[in-house]
Amino acid sequence: MSFYLLIKGLLNRKVVTALLLLQLAMTLALLLNSILLAQQTHQQLNQPTGLDLDNIVLVQLKPTTASLRVYPALEELLNRQLAAVSALPDVVAAAYSNQSAILQGGNNGNVYLDGEEGRSNQPSVPMYFVSKDFFRVLDSKLLQGELPQQSVSLDNPVPPDVVITQSLARQLFADKPAIGQQLNRGRLAAVISDFYGQRSGTNVMFNSIQVAPPFGVDWGYSILLRTTPGRADVVRQRLDQTLRAVEPNIEIFHIRSLAEQHQRLYRNEYGLAMLLAILSALMLLVTMVSSYSSTYFHALKRQQEIGIKRALGASKNTIFIELLSENWLCTAVGALLGVMLALLLNQALAQVISIPALSGYLPLITIAVLLLCVTVATWYPAAIATRVSPATATKAL
Amino acid sequence: MEQFIYYLKVSLKGIKRAPLPYALTIFILSVGLGVFFANATFYYQLNSDPLPDKSDKLFFPMINLVPYQCTTDCRTPRVLSYSNVQKLSQSDIPSQAAAMYSADGYLRVNAGQPPLPVSIRITQRDFFTMFEVPLLHGSIWPDNSARHEVILTRASAEKLFGRTDVVGETLLLDDRNVTVSAVLDSWQMLPRLYDANNRNHLTDADDIYLPLETGYDMNYLSNSQSSTFDDTDYRQLSTQGRTGALHQLQYWVQLDTPAQQQAYRQFMHNLVMDEKAAGRHPSEPNNQLVAMQDIVSYFGGDSSDIKAFALVTLLFLLVCLFNASHLSLNRYLSNQYEFSLRRALGASRSQLQLQMLADVLLMAGFTIAGALLTGYAGIKLMNQLLPANRLFSDWDLPLLLGLLAIAVVCSYLVTLYPSLRASFGTLNQQLKE
Amino acid sequence: MIRLSNLSKIFRTELIETHALREVNLQVNEGEFAALTGPSGSGKSTLLNILGTLESFDSGDYQLDGQSVTGLSDAALSKLRNEKIGFIFQSFNLIKDFSIYDNIELPLRYRGFNASARKQRIEQALELVGLHARRDYLPGQLSGGQQQRVAIARAIAGQPRILLADEPTGNLDSLMARQVMELLEKINQQGCTILMVTHDPDQARRAGRHIQIIDGQLHDSTLYEPLAAHSA
Ligand SMILES: Nc1ncnc2c1ncn2[C@@H]1O[C@H](COP(=O)(O)OP(=O)(O)OP(=O)(O)O)[C@@H](O)[C@H]1O
Ligand SMILES: [Mg+2]
Repeated sequence: MSFYLLIKGLLNRKVVTALLLLQLAMTLALLLNSILLAQQTHQQLNQPTGLDLDNIVLVQLKPTTASLRVYPALEELLNRQLAAVSALPDVVAAAYSNQSAILQGGNNGNVYLDGEEGRSNQPSVPMYFVSKDFFRVLDSKLLQGELPQQSVSLDNPVPPDVVITQSLARQLFADKPAIGQQLNRGRLAAVISDFYGQRSGTNVMFNSIQVAPPFGVDWGYSILLRTTPGRADVVRQRLDQTLRAVEPNIEIFHIRSLAEQHQRLYRNEYGLAMLLAILSALMLLVTMVSSYSSTYFHALKRQQEIGIKRALGASKNTIFIELLSENWLCTAVGALLGVMLALLLNQALAQVISIPALSGYLPLITIAVLLLCVTVATWYPAAIATRVSPATATKAL
Repeated sequence: MEQFIYYLKVSLKGIKRAPLPYALTIFILSVGLGVFFANATFYYQLNSDPLPDKSDKLFFPMINLVPYQCTTDCRTPRVLSYSNVQKLSQSDIPSQAAAMYSADGYLRVNAGQPPLPVSIRITQRDFFTMFEVPLLHGSIWPDNSARHEVILTRASAEKLFGRTDVVGETLLLDDRNVTVSAVLDSWQMLPRLYDANNRNHLTDADDIYLPLETGYDMNYLSNSQSSTFDDTDYRQLSTQGRTGALHQLQYWVQLDTPAQQQAYRQFMHNLVMDEKAAGRHPSEPNNQLVAMQDIVSYFGGDSSDIKAFALVTLLFLLVCLFNASHLSLNRYLSNQYEFSLRRALGASRSQLQLQMLADVLLMAGFTIAGALLTGYAGIKLMNQLLPANRLFSDWDLPLLLGLLAIAVVCSYLVTLYPSLRASFGTLNQQLKE
Repeated sequence: MIRLSNLSKIFRTELIETHALREVNLQVNEGEFAALTGPSGSGKSTLLNILGTLESFDSGDYQLDGQSVTGLSDAALSKLRNEKIGFIFQSFNLIKDFSIYDNIELPLRYRGFNASARKQRIEQALELVGLHARRDYLPGQLSGGQQQRVAIARAIAGQPRILLADEPTGNLDSLMARQVMELLEKINQQGCTILMVTHDPDQARRAGRHIQIIDGQLHDSTLYEPLAAHSA
């Protein structure tokens, strides 16, 4: 088996070889970028949310009659609904909130230290107006201060106390004492552990919470429940009926676990990664077909040549390895081109979507996968080719 | 004709001789084209112009007229306040103009009925002429003043009453009485460019229409974006909402000529300068007059996933084309002896080319069938995986014709090079081999 | 050095069985030049192919250098072919897109010689067949006689002990044929055993030994004693 002759053989079939190389390169480029995207999506889906996603259930709902959307009828409705769902078996804690956690966007606004708006302002921080068990539902850890125990109206002369998450506290106060400081929304009462708020915010872990009835429910509101571990599905099934029994004039938009909510939030990314993965699989299939057919035709056309080589002392193994090596060589050269192409494609894709840059061991793995596929596809026709009878192949026409 | 049928027969015989390579060629071409078709469909529909003769005349004016001095983010807000719109509508340069937003509400015929959740477009009279909305019954509001009158879409009329001619009927909209003043004919504007903020242009049109003034009177907040830049109370929309910096309105004007467009720009400039002089415009002026064609990209709502996928599917199509031509080259090379023999027997080049044409047509036929099938499956799959673009998955005639043309061209390319090689190679050499 | 005892070969196809060789006994000694003749279809090529281990046989035994080839693996047979046997075919069987040099080099590569050893042997072989100047030509650019001389060069470059030639002059005119014959005689004088199939009675006469095959059976002009008594 000789490298020199291999290359020579390939050069003799310039067009076919060039096509094969191009195709291999493109396949590799696409494969690499799909893997990158899939990896990124996977990371996004697995980034910490600070929430026990599986055991928190979210109900999004809205009263359908206008009279139920104004105080005091609204507050009374909220409390009746809370009481009913809290009484359900397997519900550990329940709270209402003007909006859920883990959203794309929602109710948000500026948060800054009173009198220091220019220096300390944090834009688009989600604002939650919740009942007092909200923190128990999320299982937040109290890091500083004390959680408010009373619901205070937002229209109160002294606005309700504010609870913020750790990341936001660090951003606003660095290491200085935070409790008791005056924020634009009210006095800071407590700092709790981080949780995933809104994806469109500057930092998904920035959140500010006040224990107060929401201003209004024109956009609907959320009831959040913590269930005993593993019982979320059971609780979910009873929620619709329970809530309608409390008040029939409501529309329930959806009932989901936060895990589901999280998945939906990244559905587009997931979809794109999935599509690219399917496309990559198709590309590998196409590459395999092409390796298969090029070996098949090559062997068919070169029966005489293979016969001669056998007569000159090439064993079946030699012929087999020769055929495989030819494809390996092609794949290797194609892969090198492919890595370059992948870099270009990566840059092109980065213009339209967020995709991490190409790096490290990934190309190696991808090349290995490609080689494996090519080998599998070449195996059968190459094995057939070695069965050429040298006596027949060398016979005069 | 009879001659051509003969050529077709010859082609078929060639296929029968080596069915596997042929099947693989078709398979690869079909997959490549199918994937391309699926994506091209979305790309085409998403970028189609819903108002081809008007889209360059419709503009969204945006001004940075807010009560704070911007420090970091000095972009003009994507929505306007009620008072912004009032100031902008003072000009009579536009031939049409309508402010609008959308809200959620519940509709029923009487208190005993279960409520029907509806999306309400709260807008002004010119909306319907500006976006060429067809009218089925009744008449559009005669002016922009408040009135408890709604306009129903055909679908919501049928859902509520089971019929379309319901002008004059009364309804309960969030427990308030309204009268039906008109019913629209079926209408869909895709993409819905007048509502491009938050990528709403990808969604269905609203169910009912309510006058803007009435919407404010009834305290409807936008279900897409409401922002306050002062301490306006959201709950006091009808009073504070009309004067304060509560931004939730989109505003479209029709400017028919470049001169009008220039004049309107000048009007906006003067307006902002006056406001500045009056101390009501603390930030730097940053006026925008965005044409309807550019609004999606202005709002950053381009479907980047489809774009990314477009790039990739194009590459895939190329790969498949390479691959298929490789395969068919091999196929032709293994038939080359016969080809040469035929030429030795006196077939002229043009006769051979006719034979090629038969090959191309046959391949195009198979490929189109395969590609349409794959494309259809691809669209279904993409609807599953990227449901946001669901409304943009239909094939229309020009699209279909374009796709078919591409399929024929691809089949031609895949057949051309190999058959050229087979027919123009030196006759002598091939027979000797 | 070659010893066949009771060797038979049957070709089986769906319709018929062809007894290509029946109970063949043959012994060929080192340095012999034997001509194989016989009517078409009598089994000459089959015998040559079996001797060259290109084809298997159904019964009997074939010993090469005192060693039976039965049961040897494909790799071992290939090695044996590569080292001990050179082939010359009627239709030359040069590889079309390899140059003359590359064609001759091929078996030497399989044998694992290094570049300089290969070069030396190729030069020698080319010298012998008188085609030194054409080393970079492609086979298609040579005349038939020249091509056959390249094939001979390729066959002898590895200095095999046996040369098997199946109608080496069958495709050549008489002048070319004579050149090729002279070349083979020269090679035989250098000690290489040659078995050659031919239809030309002149050529058969020039060979030291004449073996006839008719209908798969040998009719040897030279008589040998029973196998056991003679050792090569
Ligand atoms: N691969 C094969 N399959 C079946 N039969 C075969 C095969 N090869 C040879 N034969 C048969 O074996 C017999 C001997 O063939 P062989 O090629 O040895 O003849 P030959 O003496 O070389 O003839 P020629 O002088 O025409 O070359 C013939 O009858 C032939 O048909
Ligand atoms: Mg023969």
